[in-house]
Amino acid sequence: MKLKGKIIAFFVPLLLVGLFLGGVSRAGEAGVTDDSILVGCSNSFSGPLVFPGTELVNYGLEIYFKHINDQGGINGRKIKTQYYDDAYSPQKAVANTIRLVEQDGVFAILASQGTSPVFATVKYLGEQKVPLLFPFQGVPFEGVAATDTALGGKYIFTAFTSYPMQTEIVLKWLVQKKKFKRIGMIYQDDKYGYSFRDPGKKFLGEMGLELTAAEPISRKAIDASAQVAKLKAANLDACLLVLTPGPGGMFLKDAHKVGWKETKLISSGPLTDEKFIILAGGVGEGVWGLSLWPDPVNSKIPGVVEYREILEKYAPGHVPNRFSLYGWFYAKLFSEAVRRTGKDLTRENLVKTLEGMKNWKSDIISPVSFSPTDHKTQEDGFMAEVEGGVFKPISGWLSIKDGKLKERRYKE
Amino acid sequence: MILQIIISGLATGCIYSLVALGLNLIYNTTEHVNFAQGEMSMVSAFIGFTFFKMLGLPFGLAVLLTLPASALMGMIMERLTIRPAIHAPHFNVFIITLGVSIVMKSLAGYAWSHDDFPYPHLFPNKLLRIGSITLDMPSLGMIGTTCLLMILLYLFFKYTKVGTAMRAVSQNQNAALLMGISVKRSFAMTWAISSLVAAVAGILIAPVVFLSTHMGLVVINGFAAAILGGWGSIPGTIAGGMLLGVMENVVPYYLPSQTRNIIPFMVLVGVLVVKPTGIMGAERKKRV
Repeated sequence: MKLKGKIIAFFVPLLLVGLFLGGVSRAGEAGVTDDSILVGCSNSFSGPLVFPGTELVNYGLEIYFKHINDQGGINGRKIKTQYYDDAYSPQKAVANTIRLVEQDGVFAILASQGTSPVFATVKYLGEQKVPLLFPFQGVPFEGVAATDTALGGKYIFTAFTSYPMQTEIVLKWLVQKKKFKRIGMIYQDDKYGYSFRDPGKKFLGEMGLELTAAEPISRKAIDASAQVAKLKAANLDACLLVLTPGPGGMFLKDAHKVGWKETKLISSGPLTDEKFIILAGGVGEGVWGLSLWPDPVNSKIPGVVEYREILEKYAPGHVPNRFSLYGWFYAKLFSEAVRRTGKDLTRENLVKTLEGMKNWKSDIISPVSFSPTDHKTQEDGFMAEVEGGVFKPISGWLSIKDGKLKERRYKE
Repeated sequence: MILQIIISGLATGCIYSLVALGLNLIYNTTEHVNFAQGEMSMVSAFIGFTFFKMLGLPFGLAVLLTLPASALMGMIMERLTIRPAIHAPHFNVFIITLGVSIVMKSLAGYAWSHDDFPYPHLFPNKLLRIGSITLDMPSLGMIGTTCLLMILLYLFFKYTKVGTAMRAVSQNQNAALLMGISVKRSFAMTWAISSLVAAVAGILIAPVVFLSTHMGLVVINGFAAAILGGWGSIPGTIAGGMLLGVMENVVPYYLPSQTRNIIPFMVLVGVLVVKPTGIMGAERKKRV
């Protein structure tokens, strides 16, 4: 056989196999075959958010999907996953997302992480009409209404309580329930931090107060002593910590170094996890935080108990935490929507199903409801205090309705 | 409060000084710039972590075992990656060390994950109260350890045969060779000592910034300290590191926090414009 003939003999079957395999998934909806559904995301498996990323993907999403697949999948389809590391880099997140959509052909992007990486992918996903489900970040998608198909708003379903709402809940609770007046903030000097600082000024202003002191800190800082000194000198009743686990732990250590005890330190929602208390090395006792999730280790809430049992089954000895619980919860919510959608699983049908969900009880957080104009999964949280190295509830579920703070009993 | 901030700045500066010292030791002997110095600190700290966390050894013993292990790592690095390129241009060696740093970071992530881990202090995590001033023992310990290490290195280079041989190599390799000194062995020793200094820096800084694969980034500040103090000058690296650390802490206390990096690096540029060799650096002249 001549060289040309050999080349043809080699590539033609390959091409046919490729077309056949591609055709299997392309015949219906991207990422969906008769026996599988492919989802994925770009996430932090290295870089500053490696702990949340690894936990929510490897011990949240993956554990839940293994559990579901071992039970036969959903409507006869098993969940397959594909992830890529972006190390919290928006550029890498965009490249990964394009790869997921165009090369891997995922059905939806599920639980990607980080404000900047997530925002970098929104426009592209909107253009491609690929659902962006429950990204792990809390900056509101301003200007992208849930009903806006052109901008992709129709395909975005947010995850936890937005940062401005978290700020409003914490500040109103501190001022109205605890009668605090002098409130300050240490915030990460980027979009994450500003999403707490700017609403903080606004909400305190509405209550006739001001943000007494606000100090920025770089995500890569290796010392916070100057910021600690300035905030201590401001004689605050409370200081909000809008940081990630590493800098959060470092800030507590630096506060301890100068014996700063007279101010109540309060962690933001994404920071409120035992990880940053562990990093602080025993100086985090008495810290408050806005928790969006029940205590993953000790809670007796049925959904959390189930999460712990199945985590132990598939990852024996792995310590439960809020990030893996987060991944678990959103995998469960996604699976429920897929189950309700039935055999005719398309992106459009999934969005319709989600928009029709009312009071879905996860037995983990407050019941979830969506509508065509409301794509927000969670809009509440509760205050917790570190006791024995663990965040324990000190309030009911807090939310804002018509500008007023509402409290619902926290039931274990 | 300002005294506490200065002490904290000195402690941070000590880390920069140790990284700068490691860089300078290698530069003085070989004229190579080692971009992997930060990763050597990181891997050394992880070796210690393995000894005490995974193998369950007492922390003090883990530290004692880490130091020779780290020195050995430095020697192996030199033998495998630097010595084969001994006659290559310095820029090529710089790129080799850059590549080594990336490989070390990736391998460390593979072996220990890219997560942040708490790391115990070498000194009691207690506060020392003197009147109205509160000082923390770990910061004082970091300053003390750095000073002690400097004295030991000074004595080593000044009074031991090996140290004298290494100084001879740094001054004139051909003359040292003619005097029967093994240049290759001196290079290996330099890398071993530099790696040992990196290990001390890693063990001191890990409790502050937490143990992770990205803690090697401190090498950037180490470079700045070495340049500010003067390439080739050991007292200069100490002064440069301390000055940088104190400025980074004191400046944002009086000015907006965003100036933390602006002012110190403006000072760095200013110093180099006025005195291009750095505060204590001397111009290197070579006879042709």
